[in-house]
Amino acid sequence: MGEVPLLKELYAQYQNQGVVVVGISLDEELKPVQEMVTAKGMSWIQIHDVDKTLVKLFNVKGTPTYYLLDRAGQIAAKDIPMKRLPGAIDDLLKK
Amino acid sequence: MERDKLRHSILARLFGSPGNAGYLLGLGFLLTLTVYAQNTPTSDKEMDRVQAMIGQAKKDAEEFSKSGGKPSDASNPNLKWSAALWQYREKHPGTPATVIATIEALRLLNRADRLSELQAKVDTLKLDDAAWRQVIYVMMSAASKSKDYSYLITKAAALAQGAVDPEIKAQARLFIGNAYWETKDNDRARKAFQAVVAEYPQTPYAQEAEGNLWEIEFLNPGQPAPGFKRTTLTGDPISLADFKGKVVVLKFWGTY
Repeated sequence: MGEVPLLKELYAQYQNQGVVVVGISLDEELKPVQEMVTAKGMSWIQIHDVDKTLVKLFNVKGTPTYYLLDRAGQIAAKDIPMKRLPGAIDDLLKK
Repeated sequence: MERDKLRHSILARLFGSPGNAGYLLGLGFLLTLTVYAQNTPTSDKEMDRVQAMIGQAKKDAEEFSKSGGKPSDASNPNLKWSAALWQYREKHPGTPATVIATIEALRLLNRADRLSELQAKVDTLKLDDAAWRQVIYVMMSAASKSKDYSYLITKAAALAQGAVDPEIKAQARLFIGNAYWETKDNDRARKAFQAVVAEYPQTPYAQEAEGNLWEIEFLNPGQPAPGFKRTTLTGDPISLADFKGKVVVLKFWGTY
């Protein structure tokens, strides 16, 4: 959860530059997810993957896990660490 | 755990028996107390002793790194504590506390980057050692540090063949797949994962192997991300296809 401020910053910086952020929560219960999203102001798109279909689709083994997709919807990076995201996004936006 | 099981089985036997319940109840409690008196304090004391060593090792390692020590330094306290925990193992074979001591002794060697010493110690473990389930993770960590997976693959192959515990056999095969995958030998990785799925169906190991087979096939950079349609927390329907033309960050997360 320590990465929320960094992701918030990233979202603020890129949301008007053609970057979409989708949070996919693996929690069993919906309530703590809603509470945290509100409390921390995580205003990007949020999905509650309660039946774990997206977890299976992307073979996610732990949290946090980031996938980065390019403008054509292709996988640009998987399991990319937060600190490398801004640079990788910049590279994709230049293409 | 074993203690609880024993107690449960004693109580179950008591309440399941017709007739002389009072007598049996008394006997049962006496038995339970005796078992408790014989096992609990000693085994807990031994576990406490090992945990205290591990706690002290952690503190020493923190101070060592704060004062600028490097993992490979000869004065790394992890080496001293690893030796102490290994000595404990040799003096107390076959106890739960020894399993913990073994795992930590090896973990500390790995942390001190003493990979050949680590391998020499791992070589002394028999195929039926209860520590393997965790030791195999330590070996994976050592392999990924040195980028040399050959030792892990050899050991895991021996376990997959000869381990007594079927869970360790399945886990070893899974790790063989992971190791080959790390070295980008996808053909061998695929074979190992397929073997897990075929030989250990309906287990978490098979599930993980299936996930990995899917990832090897479909989740590589440059491949189209699998599409999905979902409803967001705010009730809006979204489809991944809606975002064509945009860069998308997917963050899988949890509140826990």
